[in-house]
Amino acid sequence: MPSMHRSGSRPQLDLSKAAIQGNFEVKNPTILLPNQSDDISHLALDIGGSLIKLVYFSRHEDQSIDDKRKKTIKERLGISNGNRRSYPILGGRLHFVKFETTKISECLDFIHSKQLHRGGIHATGGGAYKFADLFKERLGVSLDKEDEMDCLVAGANFLLKAIRHEAFTHMEGQKEFVQIDTNDLFPYLLVNIGSGVSMIKVDGDGKFERVSGTNVGGGTYWGLGRLLTKCKSFDELLELSQRGDNRDHRHIGLSASTIASSFGKTISDKKELADYRPEDISLSLLRMISYNIGQISYLNALRFGLKRIFFGGFFIRGHAYTMDTISFAVQFWSKGEAQAMFLRHEGFLGALGAFMSYEKHGLDDLMVHQLVERFPMGAPYTGGRIHGPPLGDLNEKISWMEKFVLKGTEITAPVPMAPSGTTGLGGFEVPLSKGSTLRSDASALNVGVLHLVPTLEVFPLLADPKMYEPNTIDLADRSELEYWFTVLSEHLPDLVDKAVASEGGTDDAKRRGDAFARAFSAHLARLMEEPAAYGKLGLANLLELREECLREFQFLDAYRSIKQRENEASLAVLPDLLVELDSMSKETRLLMLIEGVLAANIFDWGSRACVDLYHKGTIIEIYRMSRNKMQRPWRVDDFDAFKERMLGSGDNKPRPHKRALLFVDNSGADVVLGMLPLARELLRRGTEVVLVANSLPALNDITAMELPDIVAEAAKHCDILRRAAEAGGLLVDAMINTLDGSKENSPSVPLMVVENGCGSPCIDLRQVSSELAAAAKNADLIILEGMGRALHTNFNARFKCEALKLAMVKNQRLAEKLIKGNIYDCVCRYEPAR
Amino acid sequence: MDVKKPASQENLNGDESESQISHLALDIGGSLIKVVYFLRSNGSGGSVDDSGKKSDPVLEGRLHFAKFETSKINDCLEFIRSKNLHLAGFRHHDASASDKTLIKATGGGAYKFADLIKEKLGVVLDKEDEMDCLVTGANFLLKAVHQEAFTYVDGQKEFVQIDQNDLYPYLLVNIGSGVSMIKVDGDGKFERISGTSVGGGTFWGLGRLLTNCKSFDELLELSHQGNNRVIDMLVGDIYGGSEYSKIGLTSTNIASSFGKAISDNKELKDYKPEDVARSLLRMISNNIGQISYLNALRFGLKRIFFAGFFIRGHAYTMDTISVAVSFWSKGDAKAMFLRHEGFLGALGAFVSYENHGLGGLKTHQSVQQFAVSKTYAGKKICCLVNEDLNDNESIDFGVAFAA
Repeated sequence: MPSMHRSGSRPQLDLSKAAIQGNFEVKNPTILLPNQSDDISHLALDIGGSLIKLVYFSRHEDQSIDDKRKKTIKERLGISNGNRRSYPILGGRLHFVKFETTKISECLDFIHSKQLHRGGIHATGGGAYKFADLFKERLGVSLDKEDEMDCLVAGANFLLKAIRHEAFTHMEGQKEFVQIDTNDLFPYLLVNIGSGVSMIKVDGDGKFERVSGTNVGGGTYWGLGRLLTKCKSFDELLELSQRGDNRDHRHIGLSASTIASSFGKTISDKKELADYRPEDISLSLLRMISYNIGQISYLNALRFGLKRIFFGGFFIRGHAYTMDTISFAVQFWSKGEAQAMFLRHEGFLGALGAFMSYEKHGLDDLMVHQLVERFPMGAPYTGGRIHGPPLGDLNEKISWMEKFVLKGTEITAPVPMAPSGTTGLGGFEVPLSKGSTLRSDASALNVGVLHLVPTLEVFPLLADPKMYEPNTIDLADRSELEYWFTVLSEHLPDLVDKAVASEGGTDDAKRRGDAFARAFSAHLARLMEEPAAYGKLGLANLLELREECLREFQFLDAYRSIKQRENEASLAVLPDLLVELDSMSKETRLLMLIEGVLAANIFDWGSRACVDLYHKGTIIEIYRMSRNKMQRPWRVDDFDAFKERMLGSGDNKPRPHKRALLFVDNSGADVVLGMLPLARELLRRGTEVVLVANSLPALNDITAMELPDIVAEAAKHCDILRRAAEAGGLLVDAMINTLDGSKENSPSVPLMVVENGCGSPCIDLRQVSSELAAAAKNADLIILEGMGRALHTNFNARFKCEALKLAMVKNQRLAEKLIKGNIYDCVCRYEPAR
Repeated sequence: MDVKKPASQENLNGDESESQISHLALDIGGSLIKVVYFLRSNGSGGSVDDSGKKSDPVLEGRLHFAKFETSKINDCLEFIRSKNLHLAGFRHHDASASDKTLIKATGGGAYKFADLIKEKLGVVLDKEDEMDCLVTGANFLLKAVHQEAFTYVDGQKEFVQIDQNDLYPYLLVNIGSGVSMIKVDGDGKFERISGTSVGGGTFWGLGRLLTNCKSFDELLELSHQGNNRVIDMLVGDIYGGSEYSKIGLTSTNIASSFGKAISDNKELKDYKPEDVARSLLRMISNNIGQISYLNALRFGLKRIFFAGFFIRGHAYTMDTISVAVSFWSKGDAKAMFLRHEGFLGALGAFVSYENHGLGGLKTHQSVQQFAVSKTYAGKKICCLVNEDLNDNESIDFGVAFAA
């Protein structure tokens, strides 16, 4: 048994072991590595009285270093090759899994099947002692026991610092995420509600004290509940409570006097146990215990002057009524001074903490922006419920989805499938009224897989990273949410067609396509029911979820052939366009260029309206039609200010920009006929140009992998582009037919391509690739193009340098909401440096 | 009991020769009716106290305490009638207000049974605020009665001498169906600062569902014979028997009340009702003790007095609450109990006669000089509920009626 966690210093994981065990993990594409097997794992357990919680880490190999573009961009941007070594951690994923303690055998099988114990097992919770022998016998490993309280605190500290939307309040059915300033986190009270309740005052990392607790906790609810109702499981009991009669106590609301005495009514009635509805008993019990915990917690927080109370532990389980009751108690007794907060990963504090106790997990240094949470389907890590064996590979996952659809809700789904009334593919009905039913399984998919991407950084040109909010549309607004869900649902059949076609339209592709559609519909239904299920929900998250879901079913590039076709068609007419542009005066040309960008932005497969257009004409026809419609003033029109900055007026000749970052959007005309000519103009003025494109495909967006070939092709017909691309290292090996050999020697500013670190049509500038961050250092102009990156996200973003936001609005509702305009209106927003 | 009676209060009992009785007060709760009444001793009259100072006339007499189950209110009314206690109220200050006799009463039943009492006894209940009565009663007892407060540790009652000058502030925890926690700063100066819905009603209600016991006392009795370790998850159950001393817990501490009922394949009928009752009692007592201590701490209150029907002098509930307070305070605080805890409300109502119509009836410091003697009224009055020591004693003391 290799003990990798004990040897060496950072970087932590012993690479040499990687090859030995072969592929024990499924192929499971990620943003870093679409086809790479998981590598070495670290496993930590929290074995409690009723549940076993697992946290395990699977490493992913870094992306191949053969990428020519990457190599040159690193040289260009001064990122040394050895630089990556200095990252404190290696990329990978943190998985979260639960098993019932009574089914410990399943848990052992799971660990064994994935060989998670090879790196040793850190364990906490009472069961770490109780089951130590069993683990030794079954897996041949000794459990490294970690102190429970240490683990809880380490887990909570990690979550509160590393996960952006971890903590939330829950009042009267409403979840609201709370942004915690990590510099103002301590001290806080951590209330862990397991079988019993521990109340811990946390003063810092590793600095804490158990100040109180109560023996009336989850075990009391479940134990008493079992005796009184004959329920067979905790979840069953919890579910019963949802049907309990709540009429007398409208909201737990109630002044405290409303429930003068828990179960006090049963004194005077002549009824016996059999005469009471188990539902009512469960509800009363739940209320009594939650309320009591809330009260005692508040008293302890008060005693130590703690501002924040976080509640965690398995008792809560994302259960709305429980959280509401605790919140109410805290609010009632504190007269509104204190608020109860909850954690999305509430059940996993201990396990996470045990994981942190690995010497070399490297998570200590992890920053918020290096974590990406994803919510794949069908995997066994989805919290709350245990369902069958782990799904080993894609095929199993698809089978599971199919089976699920057949049997409807009988199978416990990691994503609760859409309730009846939901149609699988397009559209779904809105749940009757939010909050009228109380959910017991709300946590079912609250916990995703944490992807650790150490290369992600905060975009350095954000004016105020702390205040930055990528999403322009707040989906907390119910009508917005419904609208966008409808949009996505309606677009789904077309997307599935494209995806299946991209994989050759085989039977396998069709099967995967169906599974994808079901999975994504289930996600939508789930979010429709509880928008905050996956954390704070913005449009960008939704759109990214769709792309991730496609990748999960191994549609790596659904629009591959379409993109190719459009790129070729656009490149064919580019030379003519360039000749036309070159014949114009500087002033006219600048206007034509911006107009061209806006016109070409119509080519967007994410827009329903545009998809209709595609079926009506050729690319060039559409482009010309679109251009002809360009009538200034645009709906948002700062062109004159931008022109002033570029060309000056009178004798004022402004200096050219040093470096421009151009965030490109769609393939085809958008990038070729719109953004490339604009880049060319900047290059001509002596401005370095960095084209910023997606790391992974999203709809028909151009990717950083595809761009160099397009630039090379365009450069065949344009000397300016060719020399700039050469200077930028994009044409190192390319065979170029130069049009004009005489200018060979004159130096050029470089044209470069960097990946943005995203696989989504939008961009969250808190999490961008290190190469984009490096490229941004000398930039003094940012051009954001397209709806996803300039409107859906970043419309309100402010930058340290000049910024130009260009987009055509291809959605009526967005046009009305954002710019009080109409579909096909244009936005040209210029913002001077701050 | 000496009651100094100012000459100006001629109308106290109408015709004094007719009756020895001075006052009657009732606390009509959900399950019990508590009766406090005063009987004059023979031959008392105006006197001169030891210091030789001329003082107001004093009525000597005895305060009697009695309890009835609320469901047997008719027995109670019969008892009052048989002793002519209902004539002991005071006539309305305004002589024109007919001949109505007012009897001080508190508790929820003071409203519920007002009509019945009027009909049966012809007296009108003068309703006093429950919380007022509770506090007044407690203050009265703590100041007036020697050896009223005691601690209860390991089955040992130990009386606590309370310095009257250092009585306030204290926390009064009244455990009825629910629990009220009252911060008392002085006579008539108090505030309900907290409480919990997990109280005596919860014990009795849940206990009834779990054990089919027919009465609260039966349930309590059961609990006395039970073993909570059968059902409660102890720290040792979680940690495989090893102590978890780092956080100040020992293996026998309860980690989760009823927590063991989770993992066992047993059903309710497989558990002994005794064990269930014991776990329940410990859970509730522990919880009340904890919340009380936290509230005392919060307001810097040194003393916590527990009262209410949940306690009712039951050794085991006192014991569990004492343990809880001691546990949560790490030994810093001790739970205290009152010998007359069941009668706080009734006593408060009784004392409230001072405030109405009698021109400032006032308890003098001198009352302390009267020793408490116990008579076992239960032996004489068969209709009274249980024979507990506390319940049916009477106290000799003097009440001074200052002009």
